[in-house]
Amino acid sequence: MNRCTVTTGFFVLGRCGRSAVAACPQCGRPVCGAHAGPNALCPECAAAQGYRTQDPHHPGWTRGYRREYYRGSSQSYNDGYWYSSFDEYDRGAFNPGDDYSYGGDWGPDDDTGFVDS
Amino acid sequence: MRHQGPLRHRAAYVAFDRFPSSKGSAVHIAQMADELFTRFEGGLLAAIGGGDLPRYQREGTREVARFDAAIPNLIDRAEAFSGWVAAHLRPHWETLEVCHVRDPWSALPAVADGRRHTVVYEVNGLPSIEMSHTWPWAAPATLGKIRELERFCLERSDAVVVPSRVIGDAVRGLGVPEGRIHLVPNGADVRDRPERPAGAPERYLVYVGALQPWQGLDVLMRAFARLADLPGLRLVVCASVPERRAKPVRRLAERLGVAERVDWRFALPHHEVAAWLAHAEVSVAPLTGCARNLDQGCAPLKVIESMAAGVPVVASDLPAVRELMADGRHGRLVPADRPAELARAVRILLEYPEEAAAMGRRGRAHIEESLTWARSRARLTEVYRTLTRGR
Ligand SMILES: [Zn+2]
Ligand SMILES: [Zn+2]
Repeated sequence: MNRCTVTTGFFVLGRCGRSAVAACPQCGRPVCGAHAGPNALCPECAAAQGYRTQDPHHPGWTRGYRREYYRGSSQSYNDGYWYSSFDEYDRGAFNPGDDYSYGGDWGPDDDTGFVDS
Repeated sequence: MRHQGPLRHRAAYVAFDRFPSSKGSAVHIAQMADELFTRFEGGLLAAIGGGDLPRYQREGTREVARFDAAIPNLIDRAEAFSGWVAAHLRPHWETLEVCHVRDPWSALPAVADGRRHTVVYEVNGLPSIEMSHTWPWAAPATLGKIRELERFCLERSDAVVVPSRVIGDAVRGLGVPEGRIHLVPNGADVRDRPERPAGAPERYLVYVGALQPWQGLDVLMRAFARLADLPGLRLVVCASVPERRAKPVRRLAERLGVAERVDWRFALPHHEVAAWLAHAEVSVAPLTGCARNLDQGCAPLKVIESMAAGVPVVASDLPAVRELMADGRHGRLVPADRPAELARAVRILLEYPEEAAAMGRRGRAHIEESLTWARSRARLTEVYRTLTRGR
C-alpha cells in the first residue's frame, strides 16, 4: 500500500505517512483521504491553482515577471522614483561569487535573508 | 480537510528567508507567524523555499507558499520575490487585515496604495547597513538606493517592530516617529535539560550561529589558540549554514594550529543545538564591534538561547548584548575584537566552575522571568490589537 507523501508541520516538517487513497492527477503523488482535495488534488497542487503560479523555470520568467510587477506597482505607488532605481551597475555587485563572507557561490541550500541574528 | 477550496486569509507574514531552516531567523519567524495566525485564525506565510521544501503547504487554515526560483543575482532575486509576493497577496487583498513583513522587498508589495490592511514591518536589521558587510563590492550609491527603499517602506508601514533598543534607535534615525516603534524582544523557551549529544567531547566551549565576518569567529579562533594549555578542552561550532561556508574560518583555524581541537556541526535542527548548548562549559558570542553590530544593532538569539540552556555566556560588550545579559551575573562581557580578553574571561570561568554554574542558573532564571517567547508573543499581539482597534 502506498503512503501519503504530503509534507506536514510548520517549523518541524514531516511526511503524512497515512495510507494513500488516490494519486494526485496533477503531480501523481499518493495522497490520503485527509489530504485529497477537490478532484483528488494534493494540497500543494490545489493551492498552486489558487495562485495560478507561473512556471518560474521558464527562461522569460524573471525579467518578464519583473517588468509586469513594476508596471503594476508603478501605477499603484504613483511613484516613478524607486522602482527603476537599481541599474545594471548596482545589480553587478550582487552576483554570487562576489560575496566574500559566504565564500563563494550561491547554492539552493543557502538561506537568502538579508539580515541575520 | 475542512478547507478544500482557495483560502481567503485575514493575515499574512512575508519573509525573504528560507523557512523552515536551521538559522535563528527561522525560529523567530516560526514564533511571530504562529502568533499572528493564532490571532487571525489562520494566514498565509510567504517565504523562501528550495531544496526539499514543497512550494505550497496547507495546515488547516494556514498556508505556506515558498518562492523557489533559482535566480543567482541577489537584487534580481529580491525583485522577483517582490513580484511573486504581490501575486500571492492579490487573492487576499479584500480580506487581509494585517500584513507582517521582515524586509524591504517583502514590504514593497504590502505597502501598496489602495490597501485596507495594516502593515507591521519587523526590522531585525537594515539591509542598507548589513549588505555593505556581506557584499563589499556594493557601491555607496547602491546602498543609498537600498536605504531609500527602506525609508519608503518604513514610512508607509503602520507599525515598526524591533527586537532591540539599538535597532529601535537606528529606525528612529531613519525618520520613523517614536510612537510607531514597538520593542518586541527575541525570546527562548526554557526546557528540561536535554540529553548529552552523542559524540560530545568531555569538556567543550560552544559557538552557535552563522559564520559571517561580523560574528567574530576569527576572534574566537585566536582566543581559543590561547587556551591550548587546557587539557582536553575542545571548541564545538554549531554552524547554522552549509559546510562550504566554513572554508574561510577553517583555513584560519588551521593556520592558528587549533583545527585539531575544533568540532564542526552543520545545520543542526533547533532541538539538537539546544542539547549542545546545555552541556557546554561556556557559550561564546564574540560579535565584532563593526557598524553592523553597533549602529544597526542586533538581537543575538544565541545569547538568549544559551542562557535558557543554563550555560554561562562570554559575549562581546555591545549595547545590543547588554540589553540581554549582565556582566558578572549571567556570564562575562568582554571588549569586542580582543582575543586575549576573550580567552582570559573563558579561562576564569573554567577555573571557577561553581561560580560559572551559578551564572548559568541565573541566566536561565532571567530568561524565565523576562525573555520567554510567550512574553514576546503577548507583546506582538498587543501591537496587532492597538493597530486593528477601530478599523
Ligand atoms: Zn499534486
Ligand atoms: Zn496525508
